[in-house]
Amino acid sequence: MNNSLWTVMVFTMRNKIRSKSFIIMTAVLAVLLIVAGNVPYLIDKLGGGDKASRVGYAEGQQPQIVQGLKDYYAQLPEPNVELVSVASDAELKNALENGDVKGYLTFTDDPAVGFPKAVYNSKSAFEGGTTSSLTAALQYIKFDIISKDAGLSDAQKEQLFAPVQLSTEKVSFSDEEGKTEEQQGMAIGLTYAMIILLFMAVMISGQLIATEITAEKSSRVMEIIVTSVSPLKQMWGKILGTFIVAMLQLIVLIGAFVINLTMPQNKDSLSNLGIDLSSIDPVLLVYAIFFYLAGFFLYATLFAAVGSIVSRTEDLGQALLPITMITLVGFYIAMFGLNQPDSTLILVCQYIPFFSPFIMFLRIGLAEPAWWEIALSVGALIVTILAIGWLSAKIYRVGVLMYGKRPSVKEIIKAMKAYKI
Amino acid sequence: MNSLKVDNIIKNYGDKTAVNGLSFEVAEGEIYGLLGANGAGKTTTMRMILGLILPDKGDIRYLGKGYGQEQLSMLGYLPEERGMYPKIKVSDQIIYLAQLRGMSRKDADQNLKRWLEKFQVPEYYNKKVEELSKGNQQKIQFIAAVIHNPKILILDEAFSGLDPVNVELLKSTVKELRDAGTSIVFSTHRMEHVEELCRNITIMHKSNPVLQGPIKDIKKKFPQERVIVASEGGLNGLESITGVNQVIRHEHGGYELKVSAPEVGQLVLHHALAQGPITRFEVLEPTLNEIFIKTVGESHE
Repeated sequence: MNNSLWTVMVFTMRNKIRSKSFIIMTAVLAVLLIVAGNVPYLIDKLGGGDKASRVGYAEGQQPQIVQGLKDYYAQLPEPNVELVSVASDAELKNALENGDVKGYLTFTDDPAVGFPKAVYNSKSAFEGGTTSSLTAALQYIKFDIISKDAGLSDAQKEQLFAPVQLSTEKVSFSDEEGKTEEQQGMAIGLTYAMIILLFMAVMISGQLIATEITAEKSSRVMEIIVTSVSPLKQMWGKILGTFIVAMLQLIVLIGAFVINLTMPQNKDSLSNLGIDLSSIDPVLLVYAIFFYLAGFFLYATLFAAVGSIVSRTEDLGQALLPITMITLVGFYIAMFGLNQPDSTLILVCQYIPFFSPFIMFLRIGLAEPAWWEIALSVGALIVTILAIGWLSAKIYRVGVLMYGKRPSVKEIIKAMKAYKI
Repeated sequence: MNSLKVDNIIKNYGDKTAVNGLSFEVAEGEIYGLLGANGAGKTTTMRMILGLILPDKGDIRYLGKGYGQEQLSMLGYLPEERGMYPKIKVSDQIIYLAQLRGMSRKDADQNLKRWLEKFQVPEYYNKKVEELSKGNQQKIQFIAAVIHNPKILILDEAFSGLDPVNVELLKSTVKELRDAGTSIVFSTHRMEHVEELCRNITIMHKSNPVLQGPIKDIKKKFPQERVIVASEGGLNGLESITGVNQVIRHEHGGYELKVSAPEVGQLVLHHALAQGPITRFEVLEPTLNEIFIKTVGESHE
């Protein structure tokens, strides 16, 4: 009789895959991901290939500083500022208006500091890149001038300019060798991706499952279906069918993303950014899949149960609110935990089954939880899934035949007794 | 052996009794009428037959066997409140429902085409249900109930919302199914359908079966209290005959009399003959409608 489970699954999948909204959504997301996958390449192209901004100065004004600026930009491998000489002060504005320069510099003396105040005049006030570059350059020149006056040697100057070095290293207590910085980065990336994917899967698929069940109820097809197949099989057929479709979609999307990242034009930019797909820890991947599945089924059964007690689609959103809130809370705690994987909040939440798919995975990816922490969390999660699955099936069994206003908990329990389940 | 045997079933919801000690049997090729006012316990009874709820006490046997998974495939159900998937093609959902009842895809497809042909709507095969009119949706719903050739068919208000032509079409289909050996439990508020289709009936009132048996026997229990008499000219003095309680003059000629006993009819006939030739005279047996109202209505007091 597992035949009917299969029939429900196939029916669910067929209708979903054929629906226009599903096809359009998958296509749109795939295109977005392909664009996102090319972002490193595009950043390289746009960032590196940027033409230097032309900055004008009046000939004869502050020649020492102008010369310093020219020298400074000459020694840069890819200068982003090019200095352009303009005959006089009055000409500067014209040059800007004609588009010969993007902006121009004017100076006013400032005896208190011993270095003139500079003003960068441009058409827009948002010339962040150019101004910060100019600030750095001017700072350097000022320092240079003053240090020359103070009679510092070149070696001393070098020492002064060298930035302070501070790097972090994660200490690993288990026997495995500590993660390299690259692995660490990949772990953060994977954790982030997994949390978002799980959140989306739960919200989208969960809503879909609940909506479909309520729709079946409100259109009264349910009465025929429950007389043909046991409610339990129907519920699981629906959940599994939706799950497979969600997986399919996920595979298409991740496939599009990964293929893009491995494209030859993206290879260099990826290694520049320190992303190396092969440095993902396979154990972490296994955990990712496990927690993804656990989270999905935990929430899917809950959504199914709620869907079964609501008679009209209009009432569904309200009835789902508590579950939606729990998911949201789990998601935001996880987002917070990305920066502080060892905070007390996270340590507590890793054992709460509704949050643990998000949080325990985050801990495994970013911190070093002891084996018993993982075991306890996974154990609690599995027990909860079984309990919720059992309870949901019971609620579903009575819920699908209860019409009218949304029943209270008391009424559901009463109905369970009456139906002898 | 009877196809369906309901034996003294009792169902309580909390302290409220929904069905109290109902028994009946449906033979092969029989349509059984289950009547009752709203809330009398018909739906609960049908749900118990369908195995959606278990009776607290009593037993339901299908071809001599208790309820089980294999019983599901021999049951067909047309619920009172109609419902299909509005956005899914007729063929897809009917085949799906048939598959759930254990039919193979191919057989289901063949059967569906045959049924659509029979209802003269083969073009609906590829249509979505929401595109069809209400009456046609009803036909599709009916097909969904019978697609898998059920041995036991439960029809809850099968003809509601249909035009007279389609009522006849479905009625003749139901009769064909009956003649082919299907046992049908039939529930409706339209007593003329019951009189036409059912051999035996149960009238339920407030959870209790109050009247049970063959329609013929039931009618005999109720006195013949209506007399129709018509003549070419008018008839005078009908009211003065002893035993006549009420005289209603019909617009198209003729009188309908409520009498206290069937024998009064003879007095009426004598009285009328004395006034001239009679074109019509009939002592009517009570309609099921009257019996129903009497049974259910009276015990309301």
